[in-house]
Amino acid sequence: MNNLSALHLDALGEVFSIGAGRAALSLSEIVGDEVSISVPSVQVINSKDINSATLSLNDGRFGAVTQHFSGPFNAEAVLLFTEDQALKIVRDMMGSQMSLEELAEFEHEAMCELGNIILNACLSAMADIFSFTLESSLPSYTVASADEILYRLKKNSNQPYVMVLHIDLAIENRHTTGNLVFLLSSASLTELVTHVDQFLGKIS
Amino acid sequence: MSEITAKPFDMNDIFNTLNLGVCVVNANGKVLLWNDWIAKHSHIKEADALNRPLDQVFPEPVSPAFLSALKNTLTYRLPVVLSTALHRTPLPLYNVFGTDQQPDRMYQSITITPIQSQLDESCCLIQVTDSSTSIKREKMLRSHSEILKKEATTDGLTDICNRRFFDAHYEMTVADAKRQKHPLSIFMVDIDFFKSYNDYYGHIAGDDVIKQVAAALKSQLSRATDIVARYGGEEFVLVMPHLPQEIACQFAEKLRSAVFNLAIPHIKSQPLKQVTISVGACTGIPENDDNLLNKADTALYQAKLKGRNQCISLPLCETEEYLEQ
Repeated sequence: MNNLSALHLDALGEVFSIGAGRAALSLSEIVGDEVSISVPSVQVINSKDINSATLSLNDGRFGAVTQHFSGPFNAEAVLLFTEDQALKIVRDMMGSQMSLEELAEFEHEAMCELGNIILNACLSAMADIFSFTLESSLPSYTVASADEILYRLKKNSNQPYVMVLHIDLAIENRHTTGNLVFLLSSASLTELVTHVDQFLGKIS
Repeated sequence: MSEITAKPFDMNDIFNTLNLGVCVVNANGKVLLWNDWIAKHSHIKEADALNRPLDQVFPEPVSPAFLSALKNTLTYRLPVVLSTALHRTPLPLYNVFGTDQQPDRMYQSITITPIQSQLDESCCLIQVTDSSTSIKREKMLRSHSEILKKEATTDGLTDICNRRFFDAHYEMTVADAKRQKHPLSIFMVDIDFFKSYNDYYGHIAGDDVIKQVAAALKSQLSRATDIVARYGGEEFVLVMPHLPQEIACQFAEKLRSAVFNLAIPHIKSQPLKQVTISVGACTGIPENDDNLLNKADTALYQAKLKGRNQCISLPLCETEEYLEQ
């Protein structure tokens, strides 16, 4: 069952906002221009209730960067952008650095890096605030349809929970929205809640 | 340790034979492993690199993004990737075939992963791969595909659009005009008495006339939305959106006079004794099954019947009586 209160979600929202801030800083160092990332909402739902509306998935194709991480709790983290938006972000980021705008192979690699920066920033913010250490696999990038993504999110019955972060990314004032999805087992969710409780206990 | 030494290979040999750069640094950023690949491409021997801070091993600066990635991995134990697209050449590594005068800095893809040393020290494994060849390959494939794409849609003789391009473009622009309810004009153009030109002057001269006419028609276009294509042998077609009927009529006349002004002699063409064209035009907002192309063709037929070297312009929606006039 979902035992997260509004307070828990607020706390997680704070943690991920810190992560988003760090990611924005790293990205702006690469882009050489202002980058801002905000996390307007965090929700935790049962993976069987997840649908295309939850993730604002439409008909197009999506770029997904995945990292598996482990530590006090384990999760699969998936960052989702529509493929069009993913390409736009990467092109914005590549800017004048390289005239390779249309080279697919490099776009994939660049998307991997973008996802890696955002995911690592969120993971490291959690590690700092909840005082634990997480380990992670290298990122992998896949392009898939909404159906394929939903299938993948639901297929593993060991991970019945999903934590969904809506992400708003702005590079040079151009806005893109995406989703960061964490797939969690019951035990991992309980573990996460325990850490949030400890954190809330410390600050209250 | 015993497990490694029990293997029939020396792990060092394997590291040194790898076709990628392998380097390990410890928590203080000091180099613990430096394989032959990285020594070869940095021109820095293993002995000169070991136990020195990585950023001081190179005579040139290492990119700040690389250093902060390394620091992050050492702090948070999370793996990091640095893509070629966003970083190009983070480390001062060179391709083997560069000359001393023109050293050729290598495009790199880098991954940094946390590992534990056998002394339980937090270290980082840095892997560097050379992306120069894949960049070259992609560039080559792209330029080839651009050439092929252009060839597939261009008429070989005249260098204007070919029939294949026209068919696809026509379908798209009609759909567009239907949706947005704006007028579309089609001009069908045919060179008058072309068969007798070919018979009298020969096919090479005939081809030359087709080229000159194509160029004259093309020179009348100035908007990016307009196209001229070779429809068949000596037939051409132009597609132009957003023209009022009246302007379309004037434009058809401009096409006719552009070719007339070329003043190409054609003694078998009576009575003008020069190369001329007939133009059939149709303008309208396409709805349902209206066929602009058919109507432009009808107009062209009328222009031929009326004595050639002229333009007939028909609106898309008109009564039968108008057609019969």
